[in-house]
Amino acid sequence: MRGTIRMTQQEVDPLGGIAAVPLVGAGAIGTTTMAIALTWWHREEINSPAAAILAIALVAVAGLVAWVSALPARAPFTLERLGLVVLLALGGAVAEYVSTIGRDRYLYDDFGPLSVGLLLLALAPFCSWVALLVAGTLGAVVVAILGLGSAGPAVTAAPALSFALLNAVAVFAPAAAAAAYSASVVSETLAWQRRTNAVALENEAALRTGIARSVQQGRVSVLSREVLPFLAQVMTADRISVADADRARELADALRRALRAGIESTWLDELASSTTAMRGVPVTVHDEAAAAARLRVEQRAAITALIVWLADERRAAAITIAFATPTKGESRITVTARPGAGALGRRDIDRFVAVARAVGLRGEVSSTGENIRVEFRHDA
Amino acid sequence: MTLGLPEHLAGASLGRALTRAGHSAAAVCLLAAMAIAAASVVDGRAWGLPEPRASAMLVLLLLAAQAAAQAALMRWPNVTLTVVTLVVGGGVAFALTELIMQPGSDFESTNNAMLALPRVALVLLGGAGFGSRIAITWAALGWGIGEAATLLAVALNDAAAVDWSGAGVWVPNVTAAAALVIMTIVRTFDGISRRSAARQEAGLYRATQQTRELAIRHDYELRAIARLHDTALSHLIAVATAGSGPIAERLRSDIRHDLALIVGRDWAIDHADHEADDEVGQGTRRPASSARADAARGRSPLAASTLTATAADAAGTVDAEADTGPAPLADAIDVARHAGLEVHLSGDPSALRRIDPARREALEAAVAQCLMNVVRHAGVDEVEVAVGPGDSELTVAVVDGGAGFDVAGVPPDRIGLRTSIRGRIEQEGGTVQVWSRPGVGTTVLLSVPVEGVGR
Repeated sequence: MRGTIRMTQQEVDPLGGIAAVPLVGAGAIGTTTMAIALTWWHREEINSPAAAILAIALVAVAGLVAWVSALPARAPFTLERLGLVVLLALGGAVAEYVSTIGRDRYLYDDFGPLSVGLLLLALAPFCSWVALLVAGTLGAVVVAILGLGSAGPAVTAAPALSFALLNAVAVFAPAAAAAAYSASVVSETLAWQRRTNAVALENEAALRTGIARSVQQGRVSVLSREVLPFLAQVMTADRISVADADRARELADALRRALRAGIESTWLDELASSTTAMRGVPVTVHDEAAAAARLRVEQRAAITALIVWLADERRAAAITIAFATPTKGESRITVTARPGAGALGRRDIDRFVAVARAVGLRGEVSSTGENIRVEFRHDA
Repeated sequence: MTLGLPEHLAGASLGRALTRAGHSAAAVCLLAAMAIAAASVVDGRAWGLPEPRASAMLVLLLLAAQAAAQAALMRWPNVTLTVVTLVVGGGVAFALTELIMQPGSDFESTNNAMLALPRVALVLLGGAGFGSRIAITWAALGWGIGEAATLLAVALNDAAAVDWSGAGVWVPNVTAAAALVIMTIVRTFDGISRRSAARQEAGLYRATQQTRELAIRHDYELRAIARLHDTALSHLIAVATAGSGPIAERLRSDIRHDLALIVGRDWAIDHADHEADDEVGQGTRRPASSARADAARGRSPLAASTLTATAADAAGTVDAEADTGPAPLADAIDVARHAGLEVHLSGDPSALRRIDPARREALEAAVAQCLMNVVRHAGVDEVEVAVGPGDSELTVAVVDGGAGFDVAGVPPDRIGLRTSIRGRIEQEGGTVQVWSRPGVGTTVLLSVPVEGVGR
């Protein structure tokens, strides 16, 4: 597992990442509103209305890109997207500088630097602390240079360095806050997960004992209860009868079938049978190549959560899970749910898809007739 | 790996993260303000104030006082230091306003950058406690105290400078107010969104646990399959093909041998019992291979009488080295001997004592199955078993010069190779390699890690 340096809240706590998306939207709207308001506020300083409009447009686009990129359907948020957002927002800062060049009396009412900072702050749940700090530092350097250029026309008598610092702090303070948030959430989450996994390992012996006893009820074990008495009877008999030979053949065939079915089954078959038995929702698995066995633990957890949720409260009347043959290094898993008595909202399923994305399962939700279909793709 | 955070921890964890975020921003604001003041001390220009260097130095000292209080609060977050920081911050806001807004200043109103930076820091002070409500309360107090101090400073100088329409010197600091609004939105939103996601979060956490249990359950099913395959299936086939008539003594003996191992115990329980033994620290683990070897010894103590001299020497060395427990591979060799196979054992079988008993059990069972495969399919009466101890891996090779087979063409119903050999070894983190050609013979190489414990 990667350390805290490169990890994001979206990766270690996918639901936390999903929950933060509206805040990015609020940040985008707030930043654009601020750009419009402050442009109006210092309208007397504007030399170039076109540049002023461009500045607002660039900030708005930066906010839009940030918002769209953070949507669960587009997870995970990549470094390239962060770079694009910062670049667009810095473009807005430069355009604003150009729009008031030579007439900017106060840097305090400039929105460019603060736009960069606030967008970084809004993206904190989606970026690593290092990425945020690097983006903040680079952004601060750029706006600091713009600040030096604004020192001349400013009405306050102060060294040029003050103007550079003032612009830089508008970017760097929010960026530092974002980085601190990201580092704190990731380290706390990973620490908790390490503790949980350690406790789980400690309890594994007891868990295995309990499961081993319950496995006695499994199909192979039940069959062994017929086989072993038969063999004991043969062992003590003097002769083998025709009936014995026929019975041995029957048992051998049944045992062979059970053994083969057992070998070819996976954890997903266990999940399907337990879900069917406990929740009364038929779950069918088509996985001839036992591809489910190759999924990582966290990928299994994401699929298990979806299946259990679909079967819970009878949201689905029937569930089918089908694994397709891998093509071009990509495997596909299709989960089809026939709606049941409970509410089966696509928006809720989107949350599971977003969680799955965080663990390398790229999911898409679609409707086929009245059925809901979720297709996951992952690298084979 | 466990996904996400459980709900009961998420609130506190995110609360701490937001507080640390506020601390960082506050620290940057105060340091930047101090750097700006220091630049004015050096440069000699300080926002149009008379005696610029002295004024800038005073500004620097005031900001340093607030920074010291803030640093103490960040280090020891408690109510006392929160109150101290609020009082110091209010005092600094008052003194800075007095200083910066004196006649001749370049600043037209109190809504300016030099007052904004310490005021924002005061809003983001992050007091004691991690709940959203307490955090919003401290932030609101920070904003209120700062704004009140600024207003008081302006009013004491010139009451006329306070114009509630915003036309006077006193104008509410927009940046400080914006910081309060942003913080309030984030804290409020966080609480609401966490509550709505709570049920699904719990579902995800439960799913992680459930997935783990499913994997263990499947693991035991495979163990059961391997054990049943080794013991029962071949006997059933033998009975079915024998037809009616007297029972061959060898078949009866084989059935008795295998039933003795599994009647009255359960294949899956065996392993769990060993782990339970470990837990109570008795240190007298008796793996299934031990019971199996005991059963084998009960009928014919390991004398290696049918082994070659090399194998007998090796087995003898093993017995001499260890007073307790069965000799490594004794059971597998005994089963093969019973089936009429001569086993040439080479290498250092005692190396098997270095690995975890559960892993050794799996390895010995896989070797036994390899030998049974030689008996059934190879059409030869001798086989070579070589044990190769390594630093990190222990390897056992089973080599015969028999019929051989096409490895790629093994039919899917050949359960023995898949489950009893490959399945067992892979469950222990090992690998199995098979080389075979029709008419040339077969070599099976079983490797397991020396370090770690078996599952």
